[in-house]
This record gives sequence, C-alpha cells and structure tokens, in this order.
Amino acid sequence: MNMSIKFTEEQEMIRESVREFAQSKIAPIALEMENTKEIPKSVVKGMAELGLMACTADEKYGGPGLDAISAGVIAEELAKADCTGSTCVFYLVPASWGFLLNKYGTEEAKQEIFPKVVSGEWFLGIATTESDAGSDVVATKTTIKSDGDSFIVNGEKMYISGVREAVTGGGGHITIAHQTPELGSRGMTTFYLPLTAEGITPTYIDDLGREGISCGGFTIDNVRIPKHYILGEENRGFYIIHEGYEYARALIAVICASAGLKSLENGMNYIKERKSFGKPLAHYQEINFRLAEHYTKLNMLRDLGYKALKTIDLEQEGKVSRFETSNIVAQAKMFCSDWACEAINDVMQWQGAFGYSRECSDQAAWRAVRSFSLAEGTKEVMKMIVARELLGKKQY
Amino acid sequence: MNFDETMRFIVCVKQVPDTTEVKIDPQTNTLIREGVPSILNPFDQFALEEAIKIKQEDDEIIVISMGPPQAKMALLKCLALGADKAILLSDKAFAGADTWATSYTLTQCIKKIGGFNIIFCGLQAIDGDTAQVGPEIAAQLDIPQITYVENIEKVEGKKLEAKVQTDDGYKIVEAKLPVLITGITPSSFEPTNPPMMSIMKANKKPFSTWTIDDIGGSSDNYGLNGSLTEVIKVYSPPARQQGVIIDVEEPEAAVQKLIELLSKDKVI
Repeated sequence: MNMSIKFTEEQEMIRESVREFAQSKIAPIALEMENTKEIPKSVVKGMAELGLMACTADEKYGGPGLDAISAGVIAEELAKADCTGSTCVFYLVPASWGFLLNKYGTEEAKQEIFPKVVSGEWFLGIATTESDAGSDVVATKTTIKSDGDSFIVNGEKMYISGVREAVTGGGGHITIAHQTPELGSRGMTTFYLPLTAEGITPTYIDDLGREGISCGGFTIDNVRIPKHYILGEENRGFYIIHEGYEYARALIAVICASAGLKSLENGMNYIKERKSFGKPLAHYQEINFRLAEHYTKLNMLRDLGYKALKTIDLEQEGKVSRFETSNIVAQAKMFCSDWACEAINDVMQWQGAFGYSRECSDQAAWRAVRSFSLAEGTKEVMKMIVARELLGKKQY
Repeated sequence: MNFDETMRFIVCVKQVPDTTEVKIDPQTNTLIREGVPSILNPFDQFALEEAIKIKQEDDEIIVISMGPPQAKMALLKCLALGADKAILLSDKAFAGADTWATSYTLTQCIKKIGGFNIIFCGLQAIDGDTAQVGPEIAAQLDIPQITYVENIEKVEGKKLEAKVQTDDGYKIVEAKLPVLITGITPSSFEPTNPPMMSIMKANKKPFSTWTIDDIGGSSDNYGLNGSLTEVIKVYSPPARQQGVIIDVEEPEAAVQKLIELLSKDKVI
C-alpha cells in the first residue's frame, strides 16, 4: 500500500477501469507488437472508447478533460500491462500535447483536431527534434513565415514518434520553428503541422524499442498551414512548448516507475521459485538487497512523478510558478530511465539465459524504458534545469 | 421492448473482495483481506448491464447496496456504467448480517424508494456464493421471481419474458411485473469498463447514504441480531495429494500396472 499519495474517488475508478482494460486487452498481446510493429486496431479502438486518447481535451471537444494526476494514473496502468511501452507512448504523446493544444490552441483548431484524435482516427504527436537540435530547442533550423492569411513552413524533423500513424491515418504534430530568427528563443513560434499536408515527405527509423509505434522523420518543403494552427502568440513558442515537454516528462517519470516495479514483480516471482545450490535465489543477499534497493528507488520515483503531476495541476490553478514546475518535473525525469533500467537489467540477470531471450517481457521493457533517458529532454538537460533553478540563471 | 409507462429498475449490488486474490489464514481460518482490492461483484455488473440494455430514455435505474462506507466505490462504478441514482445502506446496526438480514435491509430500502417495475440481482456474490439474497427479497416483497436469467427476451405491457438457464439447456419464462430477476452471466458476456467521461460524471449523479433511521424497522431484524444463521468456521479443505501417473507406453502393460496398483490398495 502506498501511503504518500491520496487519489480521489474518480482517480481510483479511472485506475480500475484502465487496469481491467489494459490487463485483458493489451498485456496478452504486448510482445506480439514487437513483431507486427503496430498497435492492433482493436486496442486503439478500445483506448479511444475508454477516453484515453487526448484525455486532457475538454469535454466540449469530446475529451474527458482529465487533470494531470488522472492522466498519470492511466499512464501507470498502461505501463504495467504493456512491457513494450508502445501503448504508453501512443497514449502519453496525445495526452501531453493535447494538454498544450487545449490550453493554447485556437477554438477553430481544437474543434477541427480534437474530435478526430479523441476517436482514435487521428494521431497527435510532438515533433521538435532535428538532426542538429534536440533538447537545445533554439538550435532548430526549421522556419515559419507569415504569408497573407497563412504561414509557410520549411525544414525537417527527426526521431519523431507516430509519423506513420499520422501520415497514414491522419493527424499531425505540434512543432516549433523560428519565425524571427534574429530574436533567438524569443522569435520562435509553436504550431500544429498536419502530416498529410502537401510538401511533407516522411522517412522511417528502426528504433531499439517501443516497436508498436513508429519512429521517423519528415522534410517540410514549403508547407502552407492556416493561421489558426498557431498555438498561443507568435514568437512566444519557446516558452509555450516547454509546458508540453513538462507534461510529458512527468508522465514519463510515472511510466518508468511503473514499468520498473512491474519488472521487479516478475523478478520476485522468479527468485522465490528458482533454486540454485539448493536454495531459492531470493535467499541470497546479492539478490535480495538489490531488490530492496530498486524497490525503494522506484517508489521514490513514483512519488516524485506524481508530485510533478500535482505541481502541473497546481500551476494551472495559479498556485505555483512556471519555474517551480520546471524544477520539480526535471527532478522527477532526471533519473527515471536510469533507475528503471537498472532494476529491469537486474531482473533480466536473475532470470539467466531466459532474461536475454526475446520471450522475456523484461528485455522489451528495458529497451522501452531506455528511450526515456532521451525522449522529451535528456537527463543531462534535466540536471541543467535543476541546477539553474538552484543557482539562478546568471550565476549558472 | 414496449413499455406502457416509464419504468423504474432497482439493481442490488455488492462490493466484494477480488476473490482471485483472497487467501485463508491457516492459523485463524479467516479470510486475509489485507491488501486485497475490492471490486463490484461481477454477477451484479451483469445484472446492471442487463437493466441498462433494456432501459428506455425516461426510465430510471436506481442501484442500491448494503455495506461499509467504502462500498461507495462499487456504487460509483454503477453510476459510471449508466445507473441514474445510488443509495448506500450503511449503519453499524447492519453489520454481521447473514443473507436473511441482508435481504431484509434491502427490502426495507426498496419499500422506502416506493414503486418499481423490475428488481435486478446478480446470481450470487463471489465471496459468499449463497445465491440467496435475491430470492429472499422477492419473498419478502411477495413478488414473482425468475432466477438464472441469461437474457431478458421482452418486456411488453405488464409482462416480462426471460431466457433462463436450466441443467439441460434453456427455457423461456414469463412473469407479471413487478418481478425480481437474478441474472446468470453467459460466457459471452464482456463486462464494460466505464469510460473516462462517464467516470468524471458519476460523482455528479444523485448519491445518498441511508441508515436504519431512513429505512425504519426494528433493530432486532438487522445485522447480527436479525440473522438466522451463524458462520461457525471457515477453513480450506486439505490439499489433494498428487495422483499416480502410469508412465507406460503399451496400453496392455499400462492396464496391468493399473490392476496391480488397485489390487494393492484393495480397491479391486
């Protein structure tokens, strides 16, 4: 029993509903997604019917308008059920960037995009990374220029989740580009880019894990988008987009904790049964001390992840500042991948040769969780954020 | 379905421990409930979904349950699934009730609610497996009952027709309204997981907690005082010994070996 987080009645119901769905519909087919390289349509349909797609969208756009803690509860249950992490990514990206669209998008864009994402027809993603620009967003080379009543976008994006889903099924990605390059971070604009637009050419990348959802990139060649696709004010995009990152980072912390704890559960079942030199593996301190350490760290991570999500909720109520949110979210994201990977790696080790086989769910979980050391901001950048908040921007 | 008038359905539900995770303490012979999640009794969810299936626009589904305050979660799930109102019967006086005292409490509640057309109950609760509460409510209300209902075929005018499971197959049973049915879950039934939108709306639907003061009656009839039976002991049956496997390929040799073993044990 976890004594540190008090969930509301709605959140407990959300957990039960998502758990029943995820355990019955996702867990049994999770490893198959590694081979088919897609999330089955029945699972996408089920997720949409349950209201998991863009769950942060307001009711008037077809979503349930969930708060961040509730969104975290869903992420936690999906991560327990899906060892590949594919549905976790498929869920967390529209949840996080749906949060941003809901907050900063125009009424016209929300009316157009949300109903199709909520129904599972379209995918809503995030595309900021480029060949030479990742966490360093200002290094982005993509540009956006006003042209009459629309905008023209040119550039390229790489290592983007859900490219195939948006290109083939419809939808697009929230992205960022320089509108007034001489102003640096103060001249960037955030907007929605439909991947079905003329001038988009996709490419695909064979990722190490999370194989049920595609990874790729696309070139953007004179793509024209309407003005109502801009999120918030023009040239304020650098500040706006970080709210989306932070939402995703907090969810990722909870996902890593959940995936790690699930793997430890697998490991515990194994070490209690498997005997070596006449005794269960669990008897040996080399193993049970590691178990205790991982369990403690992952529960700390879970608490910190929910604290980060709570902070995001409080920020929306005007009770904490942007900087406080950035700081706490960065703390939660900083070690999430490392700690989960270490735990899962040990579980693989305990299971001997089976742990190294494709039949073992933990190896898929390790490959999925490893990505979160990079995705939505590297752990090094998380350290920069926390240090900056502690020391002050000038001193640092 | 062809109703003459607006219908009111009452669904009786119970919050139960998820028995797939319940174990018995070998020292005390009591259920180890610590850390075991509580769920809406699966048979009751089927009964509720049957009510939702036949509900027409202006009809009303009231879901009732007797239990401790935390049983509210089971009722909220019912509201998220589509029930319109929920009443939790929670009072220290109700504690320790057997099936008779439980059915008395639910009957008092139903009388207090007033008119109804159909009462839905699950076949049984998965923690007690008695299958007695539904039929006892019908007896106390003096209304007809149809048990082992797999499907409501039709409701026309003042009559209901139900497909009922028997040992040999099925039969169609007709009863006059008001009626109580207990539903048996067919293997094809897939319980609905309430969607996020419905969960967020559940807490906004009418929910009441009623005590003995709300439903009246003598305290002698409730809880342990009103119970006609008493559980003396709960225990696990001794584990079965592993059988003997005759691992002989030739059938004749296997039969010979079997005869030897049975003769040795003086079975033949």
